[in-house]
Amino acid sequence: MSDLLVEFERLSPLMLWMAIAAAVTMAAAVVVERTAFGVQQALNLRVTKRYRPLVQRALAGDETARDELLGSPARHRLAIARLLIEPLIEDRDPERIAKTRAIARELSMFPIANRYLRSWVWWRRALALRAFGLAQATDHTPQLIAALDDPHPDVRAAALDGLADMHDLTALQAIIVRVHDISLHRGRRGAAIKSFGSECEQFLLEMSEVDSENRLNYIHALAICGTARSRPVLCRWTRDTRIDVRATAFEALAYVGLDDESARVAIEGLESDDPRVRAMAAYALRGWQGPGDAAARLAKHLDDTWAVAVRAARTLQSMGPAGAAELQACASRPGIGGLLARQMLWQPELQR
Amino acid sequence: MSFWRDAFIAFALLITAYFMLWNVSQMAMSPLAAITLWRQRQRHTRRARGLVKGVFVKPLVSIVVPAYNEELTIVQSIHALLALDYRPREVVIVNDGSTDGTLALLQQTFQLVPAPLAFVQPLSSEPVRGIYRSVSEPDLVVVDKVNGRSKADASNAGINAASGVLVLTVDADTVLEPDAVSRGVLPFLEDPATVATGGGVGIANGCRIEGGRVVDIALARSWFARFQVVEYMRSFLLFRLACASQNAVVIISGAFGLFRREAVIAVGGYDQTAIGEDMDLTIRLQRHFRMRREPIRIAFDANPLCWTQAPEDWQSLRSQRYRWRRGLLQSLWRYRGMIGNPRFGTVGLGSLPYMAFFEGLGPVIEGGGYLVTIGAAMLGYLNWKYCGMMIAVSVLFGAAVTLLAVLLSDATSRQYLQRRDLALLVAVAILESFGYRQLNAFWGCVGTVQALTGKGGWGSMKRQAFRT
Repeated sequence: MSDLLVEFERLSPLMLWMAIAAAVTMAAAVVVERTAFGVQQALNLRVTKRYRPLVQRALAGDETARDELLGSPARHRLAIARLLIEPLIEDRDPERIAKTRAIARELSMFPIANRYLRSWVWWRRALALRAFGLAQATDHTPQLIAALDDPHPDVRAAALDGLADMHDLTALQAIIVRVHDISLHRGRRGAAIKSFGSECEQFLLEMSEVDSENRLNYIHALAICGTARSRPVLCRWTRDTRIDVRATAFEALAYVGLDDESARVAIEGLESDDPRVRAMAAYALRGWQGPGDAAARLAKHLDDTWAVAVRAARTLQSMGPAGAAELQACASRPGIGGLLARQMLWQPELQR
Repeated sequence: MSFWRDAFIAFALLITAYFMLWNVSQMAMSPLAAITLWRQRQRHTRRARGLVKGVFVKPLVSIVVPAYNEELTIVQSIHALLALDYRPREVVIVNDGSTDGTLALLQQTFQLVPAPLAFVQPLSSEPVRGIYRSVSEPDLVVVDKVNGRSKADASNAGINAASGVLVLTVDADTVLEPDAVSRGVLPFLEDPATVATGGGVGIANGCRIEGGRVVDIALARSWFARFQVVEYMRSFLLFRLACASQNAVVIISGAFGLFRREAVIAVGGYDQTAIGEDMDLTIRLQRHFRMRREPIRIAFDANPLCWTQAPEDWQSLRSQRYRWRRGLLQSLWRYRGMIGNPRFGTVGLGSLPYMAFFEGLGPVIEGGGYLVTIGAAMLGYLNWKYCGMMIAVSVLFGAAVTLLAVLLSDATSRQYLQRRDLALLVAVAILESFGYRQLNAFWGCVGTVQALTGKGGWGSMKRQAFRT
C-alpha cells in the first residue's frame, strides 16, 4: 500500500498540473469562443449593412446596384446569397422569386450551389437544395428528386422542402410516392402535399387503389388536399378490411366534407364494432345538417366508450338545432352521457 | 495500526480514482453533447419550426399546471401560457387545495364560473371539488381539488381533465419561451415512437420578465442562484444531452415535460408515493415500452424552453436538495432491476448504471472523501501536501467540467449576451468548486441518511415575484 501511495504522491504534482491546465484551457476556450463569435457577428453585420441596400435596389430593378453586386468579391457571395434567398422562405411572390433567380444566376450562385450538392458534408447539400427550391430553379428539379434518396435524412427533408417550394408538376409523382416515407417529417410531407393542393388528388386516388399496403398514408394525404371528387373513393375505403384504414377514411371525410351519400355511410359507421371507427364516423358528421337521423344516432353514443362519446357530443354541438335538441333531451340523463350533454350545452352559453 | 493506515490510504486513493473517472466521464460526454447540440441547431431552422404550424391536424396540447399556494406568480404564469404561439392548446390549472388566495385570485382575474365538465378519471387522485372555466379565456380550465400532499397527485388530476393528445406538465412558477410548445411538439411529429420530450431549464432569477416573457436575460444577483445556473448547465448540457443522443433519457424535469397522454395513462400516471415523480415517470415509461419491445423515443431539447425560479436562501435550497436526493435514491432503488439489464437497452446499460454509480454514490463518496483525506492527514497517514493536492485536483477538474458546460451553453444558446455576465459565469464556475459543491455533497449525505431512514418531507420554498 505504501508503494502505491509513494507512486501516487509522485504522480500528484502531474495530476495537479493537468487539472490546472484543464481548468485554464476551458476558461480560455470560453473567452476565445465568445471573441470569435463577436468578430464573426461584426463581420456579418458589416457585410449585411453593405449589401442589404444593394440587394433591395437590385430587386427593385436598379442596374447600378446589380453591377455593384456583380463586382463584389467572391468571398461575399454566400452572404449575398443569404440576403437574396432567405426572405423567400416567407415571401413567395412569383415576381420576387423570378427576380431573385435572375440575379442569382448572374452572380453565378447556382454553380456554387451545384458544387455544394456534390459536397460530402450533408448540411451543404441541404443548403443547396433549399436554395434551388426557394429560387424555383426548375432546371434543377431532377437533382432535387434524386436527393430524395440521399442517405442523410436531413438532406432528404431539404429535398422535399425544395420540391414543395419549386412547385414543379413534373416532381409530383416523386413526392406522392413518398407520402409513406416516415423518415420524412409528417409536417413536411403534409406541407409538400398542401403546396400542390388538388393537383395531387387524382394521383393520390390512383395510388390508393394500386398500392393498398400504403393506402392509409394516401388517405391521410387526401384529407389535406381532397375535394368532392375523393368522396366516393373514401366511402369505399370506409369498408376496408383494416380498422385503421376505415377510421382514417372517416377522418378524411370529415375534412373533405360530406354529401348525402357519404353522410349515410358515416351514419352507418356509427354502428361499427370498433370504437376507433365509431369515433371517426362521429367526427365525420361534424356540422352535418342534411337528411338522415344523424343527431338521434349520435345521441345514443353519448354513453359509448369515452373516445366515441366525446366525438359524438362535440359533433352534436356543431349540428345546429337538431344537435341541440338531442343534447337537451340527454342532459337530464344520469352518468357520463348526461354530463357530456350538459357540458356541450353549457360551453356555447359561456362563449356568448 | 498498520491496518487502519492502509485502509485510510486505500480509501483516499480509491476516492481519487473515482473523482478522476467521474470528471473524465463528464468530459467524455462533451463531444457527444456537442454533436447533438450542433445537430439540433442545424435541424431547428426557421423552416423546421414553421413545419409545426404547417401540420394539417396539429395535436391538441393540454398544459397542466399544478398550483399549491402560488398566488405570487400564478396570474403571470397563466398569461404567459395563454400567449404561447402554439394552437390548439388548453391550459389546465390544478389548484391543489391551496391555503393562500390562489383560487380566489384566479376566480377574480379570469372570471371563473363553475363548469359541468365531463371527463373520465383513469389516473388516481384526491377528490375534485370543482371545475371552472373562464369567461374571459375560453382555453383556460381550473380544477380545484383536495390537497393530495404531492405534485404527482395534482398532475394526475390535471391529466384526467386534459383533453389533449399531448400533455405538458409545467410548474406554476415556470415561464415558458414563446416557441417552447412548438419546439416540444416537433419530435412527436418527426417520430411516431416519441412518447415524451424534455427541455432545458434556465434560471429566471435576475432576468427581466414582461407579460410573462423573459425579455432580458441576466445573471442573478444572489450567489446561490448563480451557482445553480452553472449547475443546471452542467446537468442539462452534459449528462442529459449525452443520454438523449443515445435515446437513454431517464429524467424529464418537472419544470417542462411534454408527454403523450395515452402513454402516461398506460403507465398509471405520476406515482403519488414517488419523491422524484418526474424521474419516476420517465423511467417507468422507458420500462413499460422496452419491456414490451415497443419502440420508444424520449427526446430532449437542450435549449432553455422554460425559466424557473431557483431558491435563493439556503434553507429552501437545502430542502430542495434533500428532496432531490431522496427522489433519486428512491427511483434507483425502485428500478434497480433495470440497472445493467440488457433488455432495457441503452437505459439499462448506460444511463441508469451511470446515474447509480456517479449520481447515486457521488455525494457520499465525495463527502466521505473529504473527511477521510483530511482525517488521514490529521492522523499522519498522509502528508498535508499530498492531501491538499488531491483536493485541489478534484476541485480543479470539477471546475473544468463546469466551464466546459458553460462553453457549450454559450456556443449554442447564447443566453448571456452581456460580456459581464459571461465573465461572471466563468468566475462562478470556478468558485462553485470552493464551498458550494462541498455543501451540496454534505446535503447529499444528509439526504441519503433521510432516504435510508425514511425521514424528511417535501419542504417549502420561499416564492418571490418575478422581476418585471
